[in-house]
Amino acid sequence: DARSLPRPLDNYYEEPISIREKYPLNCHPRYLRLTTHAIPSSQSLLARWHLPLGIVVHPLAELSEEVVPIVNFGSAGIVRCRRCRTYINPYVTFTDAGRKWRCNVCALINDVPGEYFCALDANGRRCDLEQRPELTKGSIEFVAPTEYMVRPPMPPLYFFLIDVSVSSVRNGLLEAVAQTIKSCLDDLLGFPRTQIGFLTFDSTLHFYNLKASLLQPQMMVVSDLEDIFLPLPDDLLVNLSDSRHVVDALLDSLPSMFQDNANLESAFGPALKASFQVMSQLGGKLLVFQSTLPSVGVGRLRLRGDDLRVYGTDKEHNLRIPEDPFYKQMAAEFTKNQIAVDIFSLSEKYSDIATLGTLAKYTGGQVYYYPSFKAEVFQEKLRHELTRDLTRETAWEAVMRIRCSKGVRFTTYHGHFMLRSADLLALPAVDSDKAFAMQLSLEETLLTTQVVYFQVALLYTSSSGERRIRAHTTAVPVVPDLAEMYRQADNGAIISLLSRLAIENSLSNKLDDARQIIQLKIVKSLKEYRNLYAVQHRLSGRLIFPESLKLLPLYALCLCKSAALRGGFADASLDERCAAGYSMMILPIRRLLKLLYPTLTRADGLFTKANDAEESLKLLPLTAGSLDSRGLFSFDDGFSIVIWIGQMLPTDTIYKMFGVDLLMFPDISKVPFCDQDNEVTRKIKKLLQASRNEDPSYYQLIHLVRQGEQPRESILLLSRLVEDQVAGASNYSDWILQIHRQSQGP
Amino acid sequence: MADTAGGASATATAAPDPDGLDGVRMTWNAWPRSKVEASKCVIPVAASISPIRSSPDLVVLPYSPLRCKPPCSAVLNPFCRVDFPSKIWICPFCFSRNHFPHHYASISETNVPGELYPQCSTVEYTVPQLVAGGDPAAVPLPPPPIFLFVLDTCVIEEELGFVKSAMRRAIGLVPENALVGLITFGTQVHLHELGFSDLSKSYVFRGTKDITKEQILCQLGLSVGGRAAAPGFPKVGMPQANGLHPTSSVNRFLLPATDCEYTLNALLDELQTDQWPVEAGNRSRRCTGVALSVATGLLGACLPGTGARIIALVGGPCTEGPGMIVSKDLSDPVRSHKDLDKDAAPHFHKAVKVYDILAKQLVSQGHVLDIFASALDQVGVAEMKVAVERTGGLVVLAESFGHPVFKESFKRIFESGEQSLGLSFNGNLEINCSKDIKIQGIIGPCTSLEKKGTLCSDTVIGQGNTTAWKMCGLDSSTCLTVFFDIAPSERSDQSGLPNPQLYLQFLTNYQNSEGQMRLRVTTVTRRWIEGSANTAELVDGFDQETAAVILARFVSLKMEMEEEFDATRWLDRSLIRLCSRFGDYRKDDPSSFTINPNFSIFPQFMFNLRRSQFLQVFNNSPDETAYFRMLLNRENITNSVVMIQPSLISYSFNAPPSPALLDVASIAADRILLLDAYFSVVIFHGMTIAQWRNMGYQNQPEHQAFAQLLQAPHDDAQSIIKDRFPVPRVVVCDQHGSQARFLLAKLNPSATHNSASEVAPGSDVIFTDDVSLQVFCEHLQRLAVQS
Ligand SMILES: [Zn+2]
Ligand SMILES: [Zn+2]
Repeated sequence: DARSLPRPLDNYYEEPISIREKYPLNCHPRYLRLTTHAIPSSQSLLARWHLPLGIVVHPLAELSEEVVPIVNFGSAGIVRCRRCRTYINPYVTFTDAGRKWRCNVCALINDVPGEYFCALDANGRRCDLEQRPELTKGSIEFVAPTEYMVRPPMPPLYFFLIDVSVSSVRNGLLEAVAQTIKSCLDDLLGFPRTQIGFLTFDSTLHFYNLKASLLQPQMMVVSDLEDIFLPLPDDLLVNLSDSRHVVDALLDSLPSMFQDNANLESAFGPALKASFQVMSQLGGKLLVFQSTLPSVGVGRLRLRGDDLRVYGTDKEHNLRIPEDPFYKQMAAEFTKNQIAVDIFSLSEKYSDIATLGTLAKYTGGQVYYYPSFKAEVFQEKLRHELTRDLTRETAWEAVMRIRCSKGVRFTTYHGHFMLRSADLLALPAVDSDKAFAMQLSLEETLLTTQVVYFQVALLYTSSSGERRIRAHTTAVPVVPDLAEMYRQADNGAIISLLSRLAIENSLSNKLDDARQIIQLKIVKSLKEYRNLYAVQHRLSGRLIFPESLKLLPLYALCLCKSAALRGGFADASLDERCAAGYSMMILPIRRLLKLLYPTLTRADGLFTKANDAEESLKLLPLTAGSLDSRGLFSFDDGFSIVIWIGQMLPTDTIYKMFGVDLLMFPDISKVPFCDQDNEVTRKIKKLLQASRNEDPSYYQLIHLVRQGEQPRESILLLSRLVEDQVAGASNYSDWILQIHRQSQGP
Repeated sequence: MADTAGGASATATAAPDPDGLDGVRMTWNAWPRSKVEASKCVIPVAASISPIRSSPDLVVLPYSPLRCKPPCSAVLNPFCRVDFPSKIWICPFCFSRNHFPHHYASISETNVPGELYPQCSTVEYTVPQLVAGGDPAAVPLPPPPIFLFVLDTCVIEEELGFVKSAMRRAIGLVPENALVGLITFGTQVHLHELGFSDLSKSYVFRGTKDITKEQILCQLGLSVGGRAAAPGFPKVGMPQANGLHPTSSVNRFLLPATDCEYTLNALLDELQTDQWPVEAGNRSRRCTGVALSVATGLLGACLPGTGARIIALVGGPCTEGPGMIVSKDLSDPVRSHKDLDKDAAPHFHKAVKVYDILAKQLVSQGHVLDIFASALDQVGVAEMKVAVERTGGLVVLAESFGHPVFKESFKRIFESGEQSLGLSFNGNLEINCSKDIKIQGIIGPCTSLEKKGTLCSDTVIGQGNTTAWKMCGLDSSTCLTVFFDIAPSERSDQSGLPNPQLYLQFLTNYQNSEGQMRLRVTTVTRRWIEGSANTAELVDGFDQETAAVILARFVSLKMEMEEEFDATRWLDRSLIRLCSRFGDYRKDDPSSFTINPNFSIFPQFMFNLRRSQFLQVFNNSPDETAYFRMLLNRENITNSVVMIQPSLISYSFNAPPSPALLDVASIAADRILLLDAYFSVVIFHGMTIAQWRNMGYQNQPEHQAFAQLLQAPHDDAQSIIKDRFPVPRVVVCDQHGSQARFLLAKLNPSATHNSASEVAPGSDVIFTDDVSLQVFCEHLQRLAVQS
């Protein structure tokens, strides 16, 4: 019976909070989650686990319920283990009357520095424990002394690289971007040290002298694309507060300056090189606004991915990786010089996101993709997301490392960063919207300790100009049996790691192969659990999964149907697929789960009944069967909201909502939503606001769609109803049956 | 002889307009008939011509000239014989008979067209513009003058301030319709798009890289075809600047002065010195060569064939990219004459080559390069000379943009009315001459158009191998020296009717300062002197001022072109030969030597030429030498004589201002001397005068006469300066003061520290080992009479 299948309709983003009851000194799981909060004691045990063993780290997660305390050891220096360099944390123990401390990670006995000494009480705990957050909190920030700096802490720096070719002007990108940047200037991080600069380009590069003594910016055009040079030694990057009037003048002028531009070309590669030259001294964030496929100079790209015959062949994956090594080389240069690149691709045509995204991938950046960008439609979304990008808490010139106890080691890292050495992640900039995943393996020897410790350390420069180390420490028990591993399994972390592995697979394999690998893992894991369970309880013939993983098959199905992995040529445009892949590589667990299994709610009750909107709406299974032609439904995946209007929805309700008769309106996608001000729309706005507030990192664009309005209904909603049979993939119950059957085999 | 030489300069300046309407002066006004005789004359047969000399008597004819049948094509002139009844004219050059066309049908002995008036040996025709599309109603407006400024920003703040105010003044002075463009340069080149209204916008070019015209155009989006022509660039809603080039986007960079005055002034307000750091011990990185390439490329794209001038304001040497003259390292000095001599100037020839290519491009486009060099050190005028001289550009050398030499000269370019320099464009000179005369070439601001013909001599001097020359820029004072060869053919000797007259015709097509196309025709005639017997007639026709100047130009050219050329020796030998040929003497008796007054000052000219900046180059930098020579080559004879032999006027209570001997003996304590050495004007106060002045006598009512005496030389100096371009440097000094050297260097050292045994009180001596004029003349007489 399909209705009884497990679904995340009650608490779709459950977190393994319970672990903290057992390990109260651990950091909050929002910062760090393991795929199972139990480390197998041996390799043979791990081999029977089949699911990935790893960690999802979200080092700068925003937690309303917790504040990470900041400590400054001053001249004493930060207390760290002499051998393994672990930072002092709640799990270290003090001995020798407080003169020594024992490292929880490597067990070395370290001297307590004189300035840090404190006597121990009768229980062997330091008397000052209550005043020492680093000894009581799993998450802490240390203020780093000068030895943690290779140069003075950099100021927050924003450099905007803006396409001003015809398409950028016509689709409204330029105006929207200029206005948004201007509206953010007061909120940019790091006042009054913030640095800012601009470069615009078409087939030529336009630099801007923003020197504070000028009344107006000076524009300098460089057309020599062969041999990029800067037209000024200074003043292309300026202090925002000093040059504010010049920056304002530039942003006011930009749209009109190019309103008659007829240049169709994009010298994006040369523009990147120029940006690098401007930024290379300081580093910072490079925000790229791109609308035309790079067409001249180094790094020019060609149209690809429109050949359906490539799909299903060995060459398929080449479409999803960069064609020109230039971009990866540039990314390496950017990272080396502490520059993070965010790509805003706002194009009506193919943009080769696969290639452009490389810049973000290796620099700790992010890809924003607005297909068929039209300012009148996307402006709000762009404004919100750009504002978020410019104002969210950001860690500058950062490196991240995870240390763990002996016997365990990290094998792979997944996310947006550059691996500087075997275990050091270089992150020119990292922010509260970025998560990382790592896989673990065990050393050959049996784990004899009871507990394994993990410590994530992020060394960075804060926007206020302080060098800091954020450390998250967690303890995980070592277990000798598989059942305990299953009991402690974390569905969200598993899906998060699985999805990253699958996306990386899709870069070297066919989509179908990537999906098969997911399925195989689920099947093997299920089989293993069956064996375990059958032996213990002598039961068989039923689909069994531990309670902790009951949603795993559903999410695996969702993953296979996600934009990044679904179907073939026709089921997602190449750019859309790659953009989805880049997004999923950085998403924190909660967002990812919502993207994979969006929420579907019926909203017409809001205004037919007189009750207030406080009562949260009931989540519905993602199947067409949940829809009712008399109703109005909202589908929300965190990135967009689709409002589905049933054919039988009373017209007066529709009129109240939209102020127009939808039957008469020629193009429903252009209906101004919520333009009205009445009780109904107020309720809806409140609902939307609540949904948007839930996670400020993205802005849900609203699409209206009428029942039966093809092809929009299919594209926007029906194909996203993951429990149904779409794009040649099974429906939920068939999928379960399939997995069940496969797990029965030998 | 020294005695007769006394008042020479005074008589020369007193002569009323020696150039006349024709503006033609010749070394010989009677020509030897044979090559042998010509060579015996020592001084080459040459003419100094001022192709568009302004004159109130000039007749302008509002129609096209009549030309002789090709290939002669000489223009109808007063020397033509006219057969009125049969309406035929006979060309004095080729003796062809030409029918007058129908519209001349009414001519008769009593109704003669203007060009046949005897006084119209020089006449100007207005050349009707060809109207595109054949619509006679659409009379095109004359093209506006075009000024493309190229500004050096590798200068100190103070100098930039001077340049800015000079530029502001210039912008205020240019005609409203003049098109103006601006390039600034330092480490890089910035071409300012004055038509961009939103904010100040410039195109930037790398200073280190040679850039072709095509690349420049492509990068500016001005090329026809190619990617940049993709309708690629912001269109600015400015009205079309002129009707010349409706399709090009010239109005982005070159705008009518009225339309861009505000933009330009705003731009100048915010213009900074070059921002690129200069390492200690280094020169600024200055890419003058690339800047001029960009300027040339821009004009070539926008306005080929229309007169335009690039006005470069240069504050130091080019140290970067093509055209560099010295390395950035300050310990590496700018090349001197010694370095050039020893071939120890590693950048020199490469740079000259760069500017030579630039010159060719400018000439092909018809555009002018002017250089205003203002720096304490050299800027590379010696290297850039070729581009300035070949295009007929102006050159001014000053030590600062704040110096009056720069400020006043720069202002004069833009002045109109009586003060106008009469700057004209697109000149095209053609020369016709009688049979047996061949043209060797021209020294002066022009370029050979390589139009070879029977009139070309095999011997080439300067711009030769042609009968046509391009003068991209020319003005009413522009002067050229044409060298002739006497080459009688076998046939002419046999012809029974030797014509006693020879004819020369100079045809100059040009766009005058009002933008109108004109054709100036000057036809002159001189007598042939047959055989060697008629020495007296030759002597009568000798013009010693012209001869001295032309010899100076000739010897300067030889110094530049010929390695190891000993100019002094060459001049001495020429002078001795000349005196032997034309003097009267008994062999080996120096005391018997006399010479016709027509030759009498010539030795003194040579004496001063030998001591002048033109020969004694080692006292100057190569830049200065190039500057002096360019002016010598383009000035008229009267002014050029002053460069060789300055004039000196004495002011005292005892006598009215009067010419004084250019001799140290002219110095006296109670005198003021005014020296005009062309490049500088020196007011020199005798000791007593200086004392009185220091005591302020001139301010006391009872000493009004003294005040007047003090003022007089200043007034005279001003009247000299007023008509001169470049404006000379004015030096006011006192006897025994440090600046007195400006005077002393030019004086005949009749009394030196060696000879001064009996120095009269108040007189002066010169510390030199140079011989005096008297000694020089004694030697000359002795050598001239030697058998
Ligand atoms: Zn340790
Ligand atoms: Zn003729």
